[in-house]
Amino acid sequence: MRRFRGHWEDWRRRRERSDYFHERPGRSHSGSGSRTREDVVTPPLPEQAASGSQMAMSVDFKTYVDQACRAAEEFVNIYYETMDKRRRALIRLYLDKATLIWNGNVVTGLEALNNFFEMLPSSEFQVNMLDCQPVHEQATQAQTTVLVVTSGTVKFDGNKQHFFNQTFLLTAQSTPNNTVWKIASDCFRFQDWASS
Amino acid sequence: MGRNNQPKFLKRRARGWGIYRRRYSNWSEEVSSGIHPSSHQQQDGDPETSDAPVDTGIRYAPYAIPPCHRRVTFQKQGQSHINMEREQKPPERKMEGNKQDETSGTWFKIIVPFGVKYDEKWLLSLIQKQCSVPFTPVDFHYEKMQAQFFVENANIAFALKNINGKIWDKNNERISIFVSPSDAPYSVQKELKSEKVKQIKLLTMNKRYDVSQQSLEVQRLHFDPALVTLGVEMVPNPRNDTAASLQIHEESMLKLFPLNLSNMKPCQLAGLSTTMQNASNIKNLNLASNEVKSAGKLDKGKGLKPEEMSADRNSLCTTFPDKSTNISSILELFPKLLSLDSQESRPPTNFGIEAHKRLPTCKGSFFESDALKSLVLQFLRQYYLIYDSGDRQGLLGAYLDEACFSLSIPFNPEDPYVKDNRNIKKLKDPYLRLQLLKCTKHDIVRSLCVLPATQHDFSSFVVDQWLQTERVLCFSVNGVFKEVVGKSQSSVRAFTRTFIAIPASSSSLCILNDQLFVRDATPKETHSGLFIPVPTPASSSVPTLSQEQQEMVQAFSTQSGMNLQWSQKCLHDSHWDYTKAAQVLALLKVRSGNSGQVSGGQVAWE
Repeated sequence: MRRFRGHWEDWRRRRERSDYFHERPGRSHSGSGSRTREDVVTPPLPEQAASGSQMAMSVDFKTYVDQACRAAEEFVNIYYETMDKRRRALIRLYLDKATLIWNGNVVTGLEALNNFFEMLPSSEFQVNMLDCQPVHEQATQAQTTVLVVTSGTVKFDGNKQHFFNQTFLLTAQSTPNNTVWKIASDCFRFQDWASS
Repeated sequence: MGRNNQPKFLKRRARGWGIYRRRYSNWSEEVSSGIHPSSHQQQDGDPETSDAPVDTGIRYAPYAIPPCHRRVTFQKQGQSHINMEREQKPPERKMEGNKQDETSGTWFKIIVPFGVKYDEKWLLSLIQKQCSVPFTPVDFHYEKMQAQFFVENANIAFALKNINGKIWDKNNERISIFVSPSDAPYSVQKELKSEKVKQIKLLTMNKRYDVSQQSLEVQRLHFDPALVTLGVEMVPNPRNDTAASLQIHEESMLKLFPLNLSNMKPCQLAGLSTTMQNASNIKNLNLASNEVKSAGKLDKGKGLKPEEMSADRNSLCTTFPDKSTNISSILELFPKLLSLDSQESRPPTNFGIEAHKRLPTCKGSFFESDALKSLVLQFLRQYYLIYDSGDRQGLLGAYLDEACFSLSIPFNPEDPYVKDNRNIKKLKDPYLRLQLLKCTKHDIVRSLCVLPATQHDFSSFVVDQWLQTERVLCFSVNGVFKEVVGKSQSSVRAFTRTFIAIPASSSSLCILNDQLFVRDATPKETHSGLFIPVPTPASSSVPTLSQEQQEMVQAFSTQSGMNLQWSQKCLHDSHWDYTKAAQVLALLKVRSGNSGQVSGGQVAWE
């Protein structure tokens, strides 16, 4: 029983830390180096339970899902706002080797992404749906990963409005003080791509 | 012990007015019945010697000053106020006269001395019982020993006054009721104020709106007398003038008229960015004759997206060595600009800033390699074969133990998928967010089994395989399916399904994450789907045909241009009557409106 208690206390402590998250992410509560306002930052993630009891695993998972949802929400807000209003800063949200599949066109690497986003006309996004799932570590080499799926409308300058679906794979880069989320992979498609 | 002041009250009206004013002027600004500009002029004089002030809005008389008179007063008030400090006097008193009914809109305060002893409900019902006229008490409250409330109508006030001394409390002591004119109660004032503000805004706007030019004059807007007396959002700070004044007009700014910001100081433009967020529809911006010294100042106007602009005679124009640099810096700030200083500037041709911005052509499915393509497509075939088969239990083998599944739909309460809808943009409850995420393969398959029966159109699938590592393969499928809800009810739905899968062997995948998004299909999508069932593995798909039938199929295929499978189906449906099949086909072509492209038509396979 003592083992469980220990786990519960861990869990409570982690909960407190995740409540901390309610501050706006833009505020730097740590002195960690070069954090720009585009970075999506959340409090440190709970350490994965090292083969603990069933109870400990499920406690972790709950928190894990919670964290994933919050990161996804925050991320999506920042991503589309950056896309609309600070396009040049958008690539800061991508990992170096990230890939984007945009309506069937593949774009790999930061430089290509940079050119791609520069070439896209200015946009106005409206997200109506957002769903996310944590990705189990067996897929990711123990790098915390979240699958984020969004849907909504977008109007690119000079074009008609489109409904779109977008999928992100976000990975977490953890430091002792916080977690920075970046896009490992991005898949975007108009729902009516065939007629555009 | 209440005392009956009634008869004296009337006679002392003029004097009593002053008393009330002094006594209550400190209670609260809003309800103050004094401090009237015209009274300032009379302050040295004895208020008693003047008649009930002509200009006050509050009159203890059912025959109030006609509205037109009041409005005139109001404007005079305005001008005398420009240089005065902001007064707390609420101007909506004046506007009350604009109401149609002259007896309503005048407020009276009803005071019950020692009313603090009585329960509110009890007191009010007692009064109502005695009172011949039904009344609605507003802002009932206790002040010191008194109970007070407001009523809106002079007739009611009269009636209440008449009750004075005619009601008794439980100890058989008389209850007195005093009635006096007053400003509108606080709660009403707040309401009126915003109403009032709206009216003022409209008035001011109308004054400054030049119909012929369809332009709005913003210059010296903040000095507009009507706005000043409002005391609303008018901080007399030149830096904020424009910002404040423009803020008032946010609602109206949504219209597409030109905005004249010429002849303004740069500091006045400073507030532009915040206020202009609501004004992004302004199409024409006149910044001429501004002392804007650098493009940086204009930066504040970034929220604007004007299509026409005059920036003539700006110092801005002279700080850069040549006009084109200057122009391009302007264009950078206002990318939608089509005309600058009345010169057409169609961006792609003349200024070329947005010239290279085009949307890339949209393409179909994407796979990193052919091997991956066949792997994924094969997986999808197998998956949907089971999914559409009517028993989804067979999908257990497709998922890993730790797999996750969730689905989301655009909001529609009647959608059969709505129970499981996990749209975390709208769903904030962490418990539900967890519940709706199915986390073991058994949970997943259980919930899949409960979803409506489907028939996916494999030919409509567009697949984006967006990630491959040695550990995972990730892809998203877009397509349409038929959803069978009732006996004869079926609707065409469109979906996007994202899979994160792990290679289980060299030729199979196991699902780790599965996210499904379902929406209604557009008409175009509905009619482009073929809705043939997912092709079963080649060996068992085609029932053995007789020689004759095979020849028929061949001939039909050649004649109609359809593939063999289609032709066979068509013939089969017509019971192998060749002519009939041909007729059906012709009918379909006509109905689909395509001249020979059968695949464009919808084959109804009910």
